Amino acid sequence: MDPKLVEVTQVFDRFKAAYTRNDLQTCSNLLTELKVMLTKFPSLPPLFQQSPNAVQELMIARDIYEHAVVLSVKAEDQDAFERDFFQLKPYYTDICGIIPPSPQEYPILGLNLLRLLVQNRIAEFHTELELLPSSALENSCIKHAVELEQSFMEGAYNRVLSARQSVPHETYVYFMDLLAKTVRDEIAGCSEKAYEYLSIADAKQILMFSSIKELSDYIAEEHPKWKITNGCVFFQEAKDSAPCKEIPSLQLINQTLSYAKELERIV
Amino acid sequence: MESSDVEMKESQPVAPAADGPVPSNSTPSAASNVLQLLKEIASLVEIGAYTKEVRRIARAVRLTIVLRRKLTAASVSAFLNQTLVAGSEAHSRLSSYLPKEDELDMDVDTETSTTQLSTKHTLPELEIYCYLLVLIFLIDQKKYDEAKACSSASIARLKNLNRRTIDVLASRLYFYYSYSYELTNCLAEIRRNLLALHRMATLRRDELGQETLLNLLLRNYLHYNLYDQAEKLRSKAPRFEAHSNQQFCRYLFYLGKIRTIQLEYTDAKESLLQAARKAPVAARGFRIQCNKWAVIVRLLLGEIPERTVFMQKGMKKALEPYFELTNAVRIGDLELFRSVADKFSDTFTSDRTNNLIVRLRHNVIRTGLRNISIAYSRISLADVAKKLRLDSPNPVADAESIVAKAIRDGAIDAMIDHAKGWMESKETGDVYSTNDPQSAFDSRIVFCLNMHNDAVKALRFPPNSHKKEKESAEKRRERQQQEEELAKHIAEEDDDDF
Repeated sequence: MDPKLVEVTQVFDRFKAAYTRNDLQTCSNLLTELKVMLTKFPSLPPLFQQSPNAVQELMIARDIYEHAVVLSVKAEDQDAFERDFFQLKPYYTDICGIIPPSPQEYPILGLNLLRLLVQNRIAEFHTELELLPSSALENSCIKHAVELEQSFMEGAYNRVLSARQSVPHETYVYFMDLLAKTVRDEIAGCSEKAYEYLSIADAKQILMFSSIKELSDYIAEEHPKWKITNGCVFFQEAKDSAPCKEIPSLQLINQTLSYAKELERIV
Repeated sequence: MESSDVEMKESQPVAPAADGPVPSNSTPSAASNVLQLLKEIASLVEIGAYTKEVRRIARAVRLTIVLRRKLTAASVSAFLNQTLVAGSEAHSRLSSYLPKEDELDMDVDTETSTTQLSTKHTLPELEIYCYLLVLIFLIDQKKYDEAKACSSASIARLKNLNRRTIDVLASRLYFYYSYSYELTNCLAEIRRNLLALHRMATLRRDELGQETLLNLLLRNYLHYNLYDQAEKLRSKAPRFEAHSNQQFCRYLFYLGKIRTIQLEYTDAKESLLQAARKAPVAARGFRIQCNKWAVIVRLLLGEIPERTVFMQKGMKKALEPYFELTNAVRIGDLELFRSVADKFSDTFTSDRTNNLIVRLRHNVIRTGLRNISIAYSRISLADVAKKLRLDSPNPVADAESIVAKAIRDGAIDAMIDHAKGWMESKETGDVYSTNDPQSAFDSRIVFCLNMHNDAVKALRFPPNSHKKEKESAEKRRERQQQEEELAKHIAEEDDDDF
């Protein structure tokens, strides 16, 4: 067996041991070491050289990056997640013919979809979704993310929140918690426009706070314009859809002059 | 698209170059007839190469496309024998792709080999043209593996040629190169090559080639749903005024698709509709595709396409699933929408619009909600949930948040009273008291003016026409002089009369 491969395997075993112990610091140190070692394998992307050990090298590299992605979730580091995911992605898309598909593939892809949803990057969410074959949409992890996006777009926030109870994978919990925060902001934004006022009890329930104290803290911090009087939250907002009284003269002059110029050219 | 009078003028110098007048049905053998036409095209290419007039070569390509149905192995190989030097590399390679037939028209061969084409070394333009001809022939004969080999060889040859007169031929070759690989379903293999070719075309300022290759690359990426890469390439590739209408249409279509996926619906709609409008009438399949995507994008935007879109000639059947879908969205009935999506799911999967249809669900709810808010000035949230047929464990709470979001997004103008559990619609304002009509009018005027300017820019004039104009100016002066003299004469005569 190739000495480099043996070395990587050994370090990776130590990494896994630390990983099961939940020793995140050791893990990330070992991971950096592993990533440096991986750069010496010629069969990995983007080189794809046909070396005799290619299959083993690719397998172990994919395994390492999969662990890296999950580790970044555990460490609650979204940037690291993004980096690791992009390193992992070629292993799913470009070399499916060489090594068998990983059982972790769909959970991790679903996790990435969830991350895009949390960060409100809907365009990228759909771009990623297009890459998946239709059979993948049946997978519970992917389906979970897709249904969340739908409910989110519709405004059925209750469904988004209740989905937290039915997460397909333990790592999803972190993002679901983040999503709850995003959802709360969305609800606050919607309520502001949709209601004139809400009683404090209702507001607490709609915005999903466990106590009135939390609610008033939230209002003071995020929406200082809201007023609490007589046990009700008033959403003060200037209702300015009044018909325009003034003629936008400067704009009209500019438009008319440009028409005149163009017409002159025609005639 | 060139106007027909330009083409007419082009054809004039061709006639004397060819051996005789355009062959009619009087020629006994069809093969020799085709061969005759091929020779005319070849001489067109030759003249184009010598006079450096690209348009002649473009015309040669067009004539070839007209001829492609009539091509036979015999006529193609006879043409090769005449055009290429026997024993040259190109000749032996190209002949090897053609199927061997026992009865080659040898008499035709000997009879015409004395014409002007028997020069010692072949023009590169003619050689490339031969590649193109053989490639088209192979694809039409469904010999895809040979076509792949032939196209790869031609691309290798092209890399060593840097002549502007070849650009037109090269761009066609690129197209058939990608097409032959698509037919054998291995587009991914040539992506690297296409990128290299695009780079080369950019360095050589071959704009037609760049345009074609960019489209091929986009097609290549979109074939594998790689929207991210496609968009990155598209946004970084150099843009310039389109040279070929067909390529521009394709570009617009791909652009529309990318933008749809990335939720930029307004821009997507513009590109897709423009692509559908600009496409030639004959390209029915392309226009159907454009229309399918445009319908979905308009639905996603909350617009309802007119019925005439679905009733266009020759598209009625293909667009039927989309028509029913539109109907479901228009009524705002979730149940109906679901059943339509199930019923035509095969069509939507093959069109690869399935994910977009899923996105539409949200619009169905919106439309339903808008209908409700127009019809009722006040309605309880429980009734809203019932009317929208939301199937969820807690329909009233869902309805409330859905309504709240619709209000925030400006889809409906209403208020919710949480304590009493109803939604109250606001009076619709008078649009004509705002600036909206004015700005809509302005955008239409700007559109018309731009159209006029574009039309002026697109005018083409035949070459050297300004000389003729000068002559006529001289003539006019002469004529005016004569008229003046005549007038003087008459005046004098008039004087005489008195």
